[in-house]
Amino acid sequence: MRTRKIVIIALLVGLGLVLHLVENMIPLSFLIPGAKLGLANIANLLGLIIFGFTAGLQILLLRIFLGSILAGTFMTINFYLSLSGGLLGYLAMSLFFYFLRNKFSMIGISLSGAVFHNIGQIFTAYFIISNDAIFYYLPYLILLALPTGIGIGLVVIFTNNYLPREIKGIDI
Amino acid sequence: MDKLNKYLTISDKILILLIVVFSIIMIVYPFVTAYFNQSEDQEAYIYIKNRTKNIQRIPISDTYKEEPMKIEVEGPLGISIIEAHNGRVRLKEAPEEDPAKICEKTGWIDKPGPSIICVPNKISIWIERSDSELDAISW
Repeated sequence: MRTRKIVIIALLVGLGLVLHLVENMIPLSFLIPGAKLGLANIANLLGLIIFGFTAGLQILLLRIFLGSILAGTFMTINFYLSLSGGLLGYLAMSLFFYFLRNKFSMIGISLSGAVFHNIGQIFTAYFIISNDAIFYYLPYLILLALPTGIGIGLVVIFTNNYLPREIKGIDI
Repeated sequence: MDKLNKYLTISDKILILLIVVFSIIMIVYPFVTAYFNQSEDQEAYIYIKNRTKNIQRIPISDTYKEEPMKIEVEGPLGISIIEAHNGRVRLKEAPEEDPAKICEKTGWIDKPGPSIICVPNKISIWIERSDSELDAISW
């Protein structure tokens, strides 16, 4: 069982890496600079619902570290932005998932992750450039996180329905 | 839209609504506050720095009076007399010992950018305003 879990987590990390690289090719930046779809979030959200908090966190951290090494942005501003946003978004999603699951569907959980991802990024950007005008930028990012968050939630619901019974997460 | 409705719970919809309302308020708020603070933001100030690096700040609106405002600043050579009137400022009288009296010859300044500098007497005078049309100036 343990080997199976390791393999599936590795697969999800790979999936997250590919999505991470693919979403950099989708030019959303013409709408709002720095906006992204958050496709990589699918991988750690799936990890969270299949294996629980620890597995999702492993997938998130491995994906961010490996992704930044592959893209050549390790220990640069990009890396810190995605690390802080990813961690805060993941924490918000876990809290929603464990404590408010009877109220929110996967869409609400993914939405909370998207919103807190942006909040985390903006706070990190504030510490880096130390100019509080950056907070005026937050509502635009959050507004754009709405459609992407709903989309990611739907993708996770559909993906979970298609997963084979042995690795299926909690029914959602 | 019906299909999407199948997946959304009531809490989800409330969350979406809250996010939309919150971001719209956040977007509108800076514009509203900027609109109401407009008059205050346009205040300009005259800055006078003396040899002790003390900076004196005078609102330009105080200079619109019948009589010119006179400020005396003491430097290593003696007392320089600064005059501010109707939104302009100049160094009216440099002390006798000042060899070139460049600060006196600079004349009036009335906008951010130019400054009056008196090197021998260690005085500098300039104007700043928050809504300046210039972002930065370099020489």
